[in-house]
Amino acid sequence: MTPGRGTLALAVLTTFIARVPQAPASPEVLFRDITAASGVTFQHHAAPEKKYIVESMGGGVAMFDYDNDGLPDLYFVDSLTVDTAGNPSAARSVLYHNLGHGRFQDVTDRSGLAHPGWGMGVCTADVDGDGWEDVYVTALGGSRLYHNNHDGTFTDITEAAGVGVPGWSTGCAFGDYDHDGRLDLFVSRYVKIDLAHLPEFGKDKTCEYRGVAVQCGPRGLQGEGDYLFHNDGNGHFTNVSEKAGVSDPKGYFGLGAVWFDANGDGWPDLYVANDSTPNFLYLNQKDGTFKEAAFPWGVAVSEDGAEQGSMGVALGDYDRSGRLSLFVTNFSEEYNDLYHAEGDHFTDMSFRSKTAPSSLPFVGWGDAFIDYDNDSWPDIVVVNGHVYPQLDRVKLGASAGYRQRKLLYHNNHDGTFDEVAARYGQVMMQERVSRGLAAGDLDGDGGIDVVINDLDGTAQILHNEMPNRGNWLIVALKGKAPNTGAIGAEVTVTLGSTRQTSIVQSGSSYISQEDKRRHFGLGAASDADEVSVKWPDGTVTKQTHVKANQIFTISQ
Amino acid sequence: MIATLLVAVLLQAQPDRAALKRQLADAGERGHSVRALMQLAHVYAEEGNAAGAAAALRSALQIAPNSEDVLAAVAELSLTTHATVPAVLTLESLTRLCPTEPRYAYQLGVGLMMAGDMPAALDALRKADALEPNRPLTLLALGLVYNNQKLYTDARPLLRRALDLDPGSLETLAALSEAEAGNGDLENAERDATRALSRAGTNATANLVIGMVRMAQQRYPEARDALLTAASSDPKSPKSEYQLSLVYARLGDQAAADQHLTLYREKLRALEAAVEALHKGSGGIGR
Repeated sequence: MTPGRGTLALAVLTTFIARVPQAPASPEVLFRDITAASGVTFQHHAAPEKKYIVESMGGGVAMFDYDNDGLPDLYFVDSLTVDTAGNPSAARSVLYHNLGHGRFQDVTDRSGLAHPGWGMGVCTADVDGDGWEDVYVTALGGSRLYHNNHDGTFTDITEAAGVGVPGWSTGCAFGDYDHDGRLDLFVSRYVKIDLAHLPEFGKDKTCEYRGVAVQCGPRGLQGEGDYLFHNDGNGHFTNVSEKAGVSDPKGYFGLGAVWFDANGDGWPDLYVANDSTPNFLYLNQKDGTFKEAAFPWGVAVSEDGAEQGSMGVALGDYDRSGRLSLFVTNFSEEYNDLYHAEGDHFTDMSFRSKTAPSSLPFVGWGDAFIDYDNDSWPDIVVVNGHVYPQLDRVKLGASAGYRQRKLLYHNNHDGTFDEVAARYGQVMMQERVSRGLAAGDLDGDGGIDVVINDLDGTAQILHNEMPNRGNWLIVALKGKAPNTGAIGAEVTVTLGSTRQTSIVQSGSSYISQEDKRRHFGLGAASDADEVSVKWPDGTVTKQTHVKANQIFTISQ
Repeated sequence: MIATLLVAVLLQAQPDRAALKRQLADAGERGHSVRALMQLAHVYAEEGNAAGAAAALRSALQIAPNSEDVLAAVAELSLTTHATVPAVLTLESLTRLCPTEPRYAYQLGVGLMMAGDMPAALDALRKADALEPNRPLTLLALGLVYNNQKLYTDARPLLRRALDLDPGSLETLAALSEAEAGNGDLENAERDATRALSRAGTNATANLVIGMVRMAQQRYPEARDALLTAASSDPKSPKSEYQLSLVYARLGDQAAADQHLTLYREKLRALEAAVEALHKGSGGIGR
């Protein structure tokens, strides 16, 4: 009698609607939406009907310091629509210079970053070791690498660098997979799209959702393989996807991607979130090749073996084990996965951690481990939003419609979390259609802020104004050239007998770039007993008795 | 049981089974006797001849398309033979015809569960629960729907209530252990699954729960044994195969891990194909 488990889940339960928490009348203060006052006016372009899958997947956001003034700037990726596909200037991605104190200035026109085409995601890194962050933008119809000219302008060097990816690229992440000191580049791709022959809206069963005509895909469409580029060190990269074993010949629907050392052998491994298909965990074989091991490592599918609609990926040491666990956002009627790192495999702790149930009604995208209250335990934030606007026109009994609220998980310090978004009012409960998310401290006040790129609607700058936060420490790393951003470095902060570990990443969340400086809550501690940095080349730097409440720079 | 008794009574009057069927068919066709056709359906059903029973009921339906008795018999036969779509369509008519009859709402819920339409199943089962509160089978069905949707917090109190009302229900005990495991309450999950297994050692759900509990405890050989039993008891389920691939990977037996991964993939595809086939003609599957 029991229906098929773990297959095409068809339901969102009506009873759940009533239980979705409502914002209290007098919410506690956490984030304040400072978008309007900040000068950020970016609004992602989107077709109202989202009749084609290409119109519902963008875009990412980057929080990075393009001018080396010590303040993270913002770059929002914009997308075209099927109607505007022939006019690339119809979409305008925007670079904002951080003026400090929550104010930003649009510096796009001068920057040369306005029109990457049908933009999707973004990751940043100093690709040539000159000490300035460059920008990679994924896109439908050709990705781009922009070189930072050190004067607020960028030059498109895609062709010269050899990193142009055809088709529909989505996620990207820089990492030094071969320990040669130079940053290599992974780019995921989604589905094969021919704008001249788009799959017809609502044409068959894969283009219907509970009887309603919707966009087609990704199921039923052909996927596209992924790319790995080796940085040759002379301004040029070489496509080594096939040789390295990460080309994804089956064409799974690739989205978010992160580099991290999953097995603790000192070499960067690669995790790729694939929509509606099994995720990849590529273990670095230390010889320029990778072995795909997501199934035996327990991170390919859900606990009951279902292939989920994976989108965003976050890494965090939420239990102070010193290992980085994975948090992967998924489609509605699935659950967001919390894969706990065990060292030689991962365990799906989603239900045991109590993060799964509240995620079931939502389509999750950008995510991050953030210690929003600085209590020294990483919490989790997730932004949501459906892909089918048609859901709002029919009575589906669904618990979450097209626009969806955010999820905020507070770490209970025992491996479990409470979902507490409602406690913090409208800023968390307002229903939106969000995609990219980047976290970091925008103004150096020690509170971790969140920036969001919405598919439909304005961007959001959420400033952390929680009173009585704990003490904090931000660790900024200056790596040895050419990896000046120390991407891949692991920072461990010791407080008494406890340790927190974090990693410097290029590319994470949903096709976005978080602040590379590592933020740690210290609770009541007035200093960290030790700050230890394991640099990408394996060397270690340690600093003891580091005072709290400062941005602390460590150079290699 | 009722069909058997009814047929026994009929056979007392006409001991020749073939002759009895001819008589009933004749009365049905020529005399337009719905009663005779219903009796004929019962005779066929008692013989295990679902096609014969269905044909008799179709004839009865032509004569009396709105007869509650005929529709109920059609629904029951369809559910028994896993003819999900006719079952659901018939039960939808019956629930409109007899909106206060909890049996039809319950059966509709079960049919919708079998069809994989969980929101609709939930609606029907909640209606059945409202019409006849505290019926253990309805509560069990509701618990199974919630478990299927991974809404374990909702499932647990219903299954506990069902178990209080019917402490002997093995299915309920196993489903409760699944809900407890889903809630992360491994201690109670293990206790209830063990209780279920003490009554039926091959119960698929309870073995799966024990397998997953042992996985969490890193007692991999025991996990493997429980999961192997779960897989053989529910050979269509990919879940046990997936867990087996994990447990063999933990045990360092890569060949066995790969073998179960292959089985997992095959079963997953088969299940998806079956669900897709069930939804042909209505609903849509989207992502």
